[in-house]
Amino acid sequence: MEQKIVDHLFRHQYGKMVAILTKLFGLTNLEIIEDAVQDTFLKASLKWRNQLPENPEAWLTQAAKNRVIDLLRQLNVQKERIEKTVHGSIAREINEYFLDHEVEDSQLRMIFVACHPSFSQKEQIAFALKSISGFSMNEIAAALLLKEETIKKRLVRARKKIKEVNITLSYPNPEEVQERISGVLHIIYLIFNEGFHSTKQDQLISKDLCGEALRLCKLLLVKENFRTGSTYALFALLCYHSSRLDSKTGNGEIIDLKHQDRSKWYLPLILLGNDALHKAMEFEDRSVYHFEAAIAAEHVKAIKFENTNWKKIIALYQKIYEIMPSDHVLLSMASVYLQINELTQAASALNRINKESLSQRIYLYHGCYAEYYEKAGEVQNALQEIELAIQLCSNQHEQHYLKKKKSRLLKK
Amino acid sequence: MKEFMMIFIGANYQEIGLSPEELQNRTGKWFAWGDKMKEQGILKGGEALLPKSKRVAGPQRVISDGPFVESKELIGGYYTVTANDFDEVVKIAEDYPDYDLGGTVEIREIVRFDR
Repeated sequence: MEQKIVDHLFRHQYGKMVAILTKLFGLTNLEIIEDAVQDTFLKASLKWRNQLPENPEAWLTQAAKNRVIDLLRQLNVQKERIEKTVHGSIAREINEYFLDHEVEDSQLRMIFVACHPSFSQKEQIAFALKSISGFSMNEIAAALLLKEETIKKRLVRARKKIKEVNITLSYPNPEEVQERISGVLHIIYLIFNEGFHSTKQDQLISKDLCGEALRLCKLLLVKENFRTGSTYALFALLCYHSSRLDSKTGNGEIIDLKHQDRSKWYLPLILLGNDALHKAMEFEDRSVYHFEAAIAAEHVKAIKFENTNWKKIIALYQKIYEIMPSDHVLLSMASVYLQINELTQAASALNRINKESLSQRIYLYHGCYAEYYEKAGEVQNALQEIELAIQLCSNQHEQHYLKKKKSRLLKK
Repeated sequence: MKEFMMIFIGANYQEIGLSPEELQNRTGKWFAWGDKMKEQGILKGGEALLPKSKRVAGPQRVISDGPFVESKELIGGYYTVTANDFDEVVKIAEDYPDYDLGGTVEIREIVRFDR
């Protein structure tokens, strides 16, 4: 008997169910809805111990439909307002909410709720991971390297705002769409980065964040209104980066771009990225994501590290800097200049950085300086910088990587 | 062959607040364990139990509502298996998936009268 539940089925179904039920009963009932959905999975996990159902997904969908009836009773008893009252042939009407395109529509609306401008960015991320992606508070806390209590507070605040500002499960007005999409893309980008440049030890949960970001971005592309150059470009970027996820670490250590086994890069994702980047260029809008994706494409294109077209990459970073002058971009440029031994250029980029603005990634700045001094033959200075980098780095893997570099320097 | 009951105590998923992902992982482990026992032909039966409970006690049949014990002492389910002796069941119980959540397996022999 070969029975297995599809990976992440529960997590993905959670997001779907919450979205459908929220469309039916309104955002004001979100907490009751999430509890009810959670309870469905709890029951399933007990019931399925001995025997998995023939079709787990269908089983869960039926359970969700039954939940609608339960909730109708529960909410009626509580005499709470139901935004949409189900009447007439209840069963038939409920079924309509479970049609694929309706489910997608509900989830998309949830994404726009999650990225509502009344929420702070931190609340947006927490809300999206909880209510759309089905992470528990514990998992969000682990993924973002925060206390569970902090996440709880953010979610409580977000839920309060839903009531205060009267946020509903609706799409933004046509004149706001572009702006709201760019907000959504930014949150997806941040969620991905949390996973990709993870500063935590649990690899699994980091990969899940990347997977979720990809899934949300793909969901946006389902609807024609939301297909913009930026959306495609972001999708391309996420695909390229994700193709390298498995080769980024090995034996519990970080492997840098130079030493990654390029044959391990996952080709289907690279091809998907290529397609998306082509599509992105067909639109008129240009975004940072376009250029970041183009840079990622350059890396993926190079068969060997030595074949990397650094000149082109520098040019692309300069474009990014024109759109979005930031110290993070300067830092990336400095490290590229170091790759091609343009030491003066590297130093001038580094000198322009206000290192405080790099916050968590400040160790990279010192790591970069260390490399600069190493190449310039100033070993003492290099050691000083690498020591700073080690002290300021919170990720064990990265720290290990830096320490190895230090011991190499000591031998010089 | 004798019959034994493995009684699962503690590790209440609801109380612990497991995420959907974790619940799915647990389900997979339980299923794999059950499957293994079925293949060996030793699994006789078993069910999971919900936490809600009532008690009926005394000559007056006094009814009271639970919970009566702390959740870490709550029985969450049982399996019955055939085995030659306790040692064999202890071995089987090593695969119980919820030790890391503070769960316990209590093993009791089921009374059988051979005629």
